[in-house]
Amino acid sequence: MRMTTIRRRRALTGLAFAAPFLMGFAIFIAYPIGASAFYSFTDFNLFQSPDWVGLQNYERLAQDSSFWKALANTFVLTATGVPLSIGIGIAGAHLLNLPVRGQPLFRALVYLPTIVPVVVGGYLWRWMLNSQYGFINYFLGLLGITGPGWLVQPEWTKPAIVLMTLWTVGGTMIIYLAALKDVPGELYEAAEIDGAGPFSRFLHITWPTISPVTLFQVIVNVIAWLQIFTQPYLLAQTRLNNASSGPGESMLTYAMYLFQNAFSFLKMGYASAMAWILFLLTLAVTLVILIGSRRWVHDGAR
Amino acid sequence: MTALAESRRRPWILRRRTRRIVPVAILAAVFVFPFAVMLFTAFKTPGDVFSTPPALLPREWTLDNFAEAFDQIPFWRYLANTLFVSGMSVLGTIVSCPLVAYATAKVRWRGARPLLGAVLLTMMLPPQVTLIPVFLIWNGLGAVGTYLPLIVPAFLGTPFLIFMIRQFMVSVPDELIEAARIDGASEFRTYAQIVLPIARPAIVTAAVFQFVWSWTDFLNPLIYLGDPDQYTLSIGLYSFFGENDVAWGPLMAACVMFTLPAVAIFLVGQRFFIGGVSAGALK
Amino acid sequence: MTQVTRMRRPLVAALAGSAAIALALTGCTNSGSTGGPEEVTFSYLWSGAEADAIEQIIADYNASQSDVVVTGISSPDFQKQLTSMSSSNGSFDISDHFGNGVGSWAAKGILAPLDDYLAADGVDTSDFIPAALDQMTYDGKIYSLPIAVHSFQLLYNKTLLEEAGVAVPTTMNELAAAIATLTKQDADGTITQLGLGDPSPSTTLTTLGYNFGGDWDAGGEPSPTEPGNIAALQWYVDNIVDLVGPENLATFNSGNGEYMSAQDPFYVGRFAMVIDGEWRAANIPATAPDLDWGVTAIPYASTDLEDVTQLTASTLFIPANARHKEAAAKFLAYLVSDEGMTAFTKALGNLPSRTSLLDTDAFADIDQFDVWMDALKSPNVFALSSAPYSAEYSADLGTAFGDVILGSTTPQEAMQTVLDNSSNYATE
Repeated sequence: MRMTTIRRRRALTGLAFAAPFLMGFAIFIAYPIGASAFYSFTDFNLFQSPDWVGLQNYERLAQDSSFWKALANTFVLTATGVPLSIGIGIAGAHLLNLPVRGQPLFRALVYLPTIVPVVVGGYLWRWMLNSQYGFINYFLGLLGITGPGWLVQPEWTKPAIVLMTLWTVGGTMIIYLAALKDVPGELYEAAEIDGAGPFSRFLHITWPTISPVTLFQVIVNVIAWLQIFTQPYLLAQTRLNNASSGPGESMLTYAMYLFQNAFSFLKMGYASAMAWILFLLTLAVTLVILIGSRRWVHDGAR
Repeated sequence: MTALAESRRRPWILRRRTRRIVPVAILAAVFVFPFAVMLFTAFKTPGDVFSTPPALLPREWTLDNFAEAFDQIPFWRYLANTLFVSGMSVLGTIVSCPLVAYATAKVRWRGARPLLGAVLLTMMLPPQVTLIPVFLIWNGLGAVGTYLPLIVPAFLGTPFLIFMIRQFMVSVPDELIEAARIDGASEFRTYAQIVLPIARPAIVTAAVFQFVWSWTDFLNPLIYLGDPDQYTLSIGLYSFFGENDVAWGPLMAACVMFTLPAVAIFLVGQRFFIGGVSAGALK
Repeated sequence: MTQVTRMRRPLVAALAGSAAIALALTGCTNSGSTGGPEEVTFSYLWSGAEADAIEQIIADYNASQSDVVVTGISSPDFQKQLTSMSSSNGSFDISDHFGNGVGSWAAKGILAPLDDYLAADGVDTSDFIPAALDQMTYDGKIYSLPIAVHSFQLLYNKTLLEEAGVAVPTTMNELAAAIATLTKQDADGTITQLGLGDPSPSTTLTTLGYNFGGDWDAGGEPSPTEPGNIAALQWYVDNIVDLVGPENLATFNSGNGEYMSAQDPFYVGRFAMVIDGEWRAANIPATAPDLDWGVTAIPYASTDLEDVTQLTASTLFIPANARHKEAAAKFLAYLVSDEGMTAFTKALGNLPSRTSLLDTDAFADIDQFDVWMDALKSPNVFALSSAPYSAEYSADLGTAFGDVILGSTTPQEAMQTVLDNSSNYATE
């Protein structure tokens, strides 16, 4: 009897704290999730009532070469982008944590790119990557390297997308900086006295402390990279609103193809089926990460 | 006396600070370079924007681009609108996200895991499919054409930020919370007095993120705001894109003016979350 | 904690203020039916200089009559456009789109049919260029009007042609020879100058298809494998791609400056010739005043294919969910009138879509503009169909053209792939 009262009170407490999100979820999330699941089994163009077609959208997707191409492109981008984001995020945060003069300014400079509106960033990078007028190939040339045709050679478009996206990795770094504040300084000193080198200190002190944040970073980065849209969309287009998939569809990402189906072709049913496949894929990957994380994430409860 | 102090200090600076500042400066330089391109282009004449080989500095400095940018968009009005939307969103975020994060991290109830799951699921649905259903909901509520669709979601909690704050709260030792509970503190007092102060770096980080998102958001203001008088700065930037060509100089000038207020706020804000001072006192 | 309380008061005041603004706004939009002038919202995708020109025309219209008051909003994103039209109460009454998108939107009930309004407002639809009006028509009804059209002609750099001793080509064979002479390549294959560049592969290659007697929508269906289309692609491969090598071409194109900037590859002499639209005529004096250029009809493949050009259109439409359709139609009628259309097309450097305006001297001060104007009088003006499948078809063609230019497939194979894909296209 007493147990259930405590349990009920705890549940009420939890609900009270969660109330803002639950309200938002009920109003703005639950309906779109349900609606998109339903639409994925229909022929729906956004403007006329949907027609039930069963599994037809999913069957067509299986035979749609652009779908498979987009999926493969997205996986390649995610597989390179996530480790690089995390690696550069951790390394950069350590550098920005060094007590140097002008430290706040350096931090602001690294974070600055995330404040640049992404459309302007897209134009800026198309220019940076131009082989005649751009700085990237110019700098490579100073090193004696002939730069590639970034945006026209299919094998170089993905590095270009990764490069432009990593430009805004400052956000990841800032979160790691906040996490580094939680690393207990006394432990460092103790380890230093014990003669532990920087790598061993990182492995035994820093890494465990920042591991919950790393779990967060891995999951949100995987989700973000699987949904990557704006950077490839902007790099592939040659003029405003003039969408393209890049040479050999090498820049067509999953979200771009979904967007194209939803807003250019007005095939919302097809797009919803794509959304659900991505949703389930992301869910599966996230679950694998979460289960795997029990081995390496240390939280305050343990 | 001062000369002596100087000579004693210099080798020390050379040995420790300089050695450290080099990689930090290189890191910052790499990230800031495209921005520098933007900044200096804002001072270039139209014929000078592109050159082979590319040149960072203008051949001839001009302020015309800034004049044109001010001419093209009602900068101060848009700035006030943007500050309003961003400010309200930040307020919403710092009020609601820590609450929800706490419910998933430290309240011991059976809903904690499902709630975290729901937060994660929300992030996994591609925004392209939710755009129109969500618009229709706001339209049904009669809120299209007002700032509400841009502000209210922040008060309902942003999944990314809830999850982030949660991961910071998770590392708060349970003993601290237990001790407070045994002392008879209410759950809210435990939250407000024990957990919130420890999570402050995460919360201020969340505030900065929310601020920048609202600041740079283009699509939502465009979709939900009807009257150009309500527009935010990011929409104004589009007035430099023509059907076929781009007004590079004025665009870059406007973009510099667009980023500066946000940078200023970041510089002020970072003192509260990642400032040089030592780690959390409660550790 | 204190920071929060200190912040809150002005913010609450501001929120209350914004709510008041919102109320005032809804009050305004609802007042349309009560006798005074009707309010029409014109949401257009144009921005920048084009938007300024449109605002001027709106101001002129508002000053010229007292029945309708038009408010213009520059809204440069078609996601926003579609989203607004998805609700039952539209936020705008008139907007713009492009020609081959009409059928798709009309089939889905997004657009209001215009025939009755046009009759009431006395718009003579027979004056519109037939190829353009075809695009506006779906299932026997008119769903949009072309506010401006575009035709494609061959532009050439006079200086480069004279230096190389090349005469302005009139046949495809002469064009091929001119391209070979005007293309310069280093010993290692690096291209320094290309005979015929292409600012937009989709436009260039669909246009060339018509020039070779092809048809992209034979019988109202996607027909990418029509012999003329394949012939055009094969000509392009033989005379440009294979001439320089696909990889060299890609490398060269990666160094092109931004389109229509002072570093546009045609303006700086990287391209000796391009096939492009009339907007160049207004842009060149402003952006590349020193360029000595000329423009001529696209060379013909055989004598029955002289003066072939492709037409594309910028359109105006009234969405089905507009709240002030009748008033919007009045404004639409003004925009396509002699006065409205001349002002609009002139400001944007585009072509008028009405046959009777092709002979005005209103455009005389734009150098060489008449070449594009005259092209519209030809019986050989073709336009892509505006069927429900157009968007998907264009996207697939764009990808296929890209593959052909990269040398990764043959024209025949590429077009066959598009044809195979077309069975999945939307039919309504």
